[in-house]
Amino acid sequence: MAHQAHAYHMVDPSPWPLTGAIAALLMTSGLAVWFHFHSTTLMILGTILLLLTMFQWWRDVVREGTFQGHHTPPVQKGLRYGMILFITSEVFFFLGFFWAFYHSSLAPTPELGGCWPPTGITTLDPFEVPLLNTAVLLASGVTVTWAHHSIMEGERKQAIQSLALTIALGFYFTFLQAMEYYEAPFTIADGVYGSTFFVATGFHGLHVIIGSMFLAVCLLRQIHFHFTSEHHFGFEAAAWYWHFVDVVWLFLYISIYWWGS
Amino acid sequence: KQHLFNKLPVLASRAFSSSARQLKNKVPEAQKLFQEDNGLPVHIKGGTGDMMLYRATMTLTIAGTCYSLYWLLMASMPQKKA
Repeated sequence: MAHQAHAYHMVDPSPWPLTGAIAALLMTSGLAVWFHFHSTTLMILGTILLLLTMFQWWRDVVREGTFQGHHTPPVQKGLRYGMILFITSEVFFFLGFFWAFYHSSLAPTPELGGCWPPTGITTLDPFEVPLLNTAVLLASGVTVTWAHHSIMEGERKQAIQSLALTIALGFYFTFLQAMEYYEAPFTIADGVYGSTFFVATGFHGLHVIIGSMFLAVCLLRQIHFHFTSEHHFGFEAAAWYWHFVDVVWLFLYISIYWWGS
Repeated sequence: KQHLFNKLPVLASRAFSSSARQLKNKVPEAQKLFQEDNGLPVHIKGGTGDMMLYRATMTLTIAGTCYSLYWLLMASMPQKKA
């Protein structure tokens, strides 16, 4: 029933780019409405629309790849480039926050006491929970690699177990970090130390949550037999993203938690 | 296909081990459904559930757009001084 004489993917017309764009409009204008008129309805509407768009868009990608066979080798190559470029853009995003941290910490102003950490800031001990968090993420890097090898070797049960363990470690990190946030002796409002600490680690935590959800979707797909030992790019993309999240943490740990303490 | 359906009751009553419940590989069925030559675009090709979800999403899209335009009108009017 081949209708095309090429290996590329001409996608069906789809409403999700429009609904996604409108979601962005509603979320941003909703933010302004919340600030000026104290109503959160528009912003919440935008968020719901965003979630609906993401669910249906990515559901369709799974259908196109796994069920319709559109993800030929050239198409998969494009998807790989896409994921690599996206992760690269995220690297630049974090680079900005590291720039801000080093700008403030390498030449601390007189207002801070001319020192780093600034006067009055009790830093977190880098050898307590932050070190545990480092171990947790490093271990999750091992388990996700174990999952990959299991998939490639056709070991279904092991793939499911190691992937589930990776996600559990991700949740454990998030839980530990939430506890740290609650117990921290300083807040985001505590000068430039508080700002750089919570914005950098906060965005990182958000990426851990996103990465965990991506891995969870992969777990569901693995359980439902979507991945073959040769073709499982969705999982590889999730694993790349997870390693990126791990590397960002290592930089955060060394710069902010350790050197900055 | 008759023999496959005759086998199903037998499978359903088999006693499974204590490990995770055995899921059947339903990918071939999904492949058949989504490769049917019915001209439907992928976002509604899965059935009535797809159409309902699409309609709900589009309704929110249009209603949300109108709602944001309403707020734009409100924000452009002079603020009443209480």
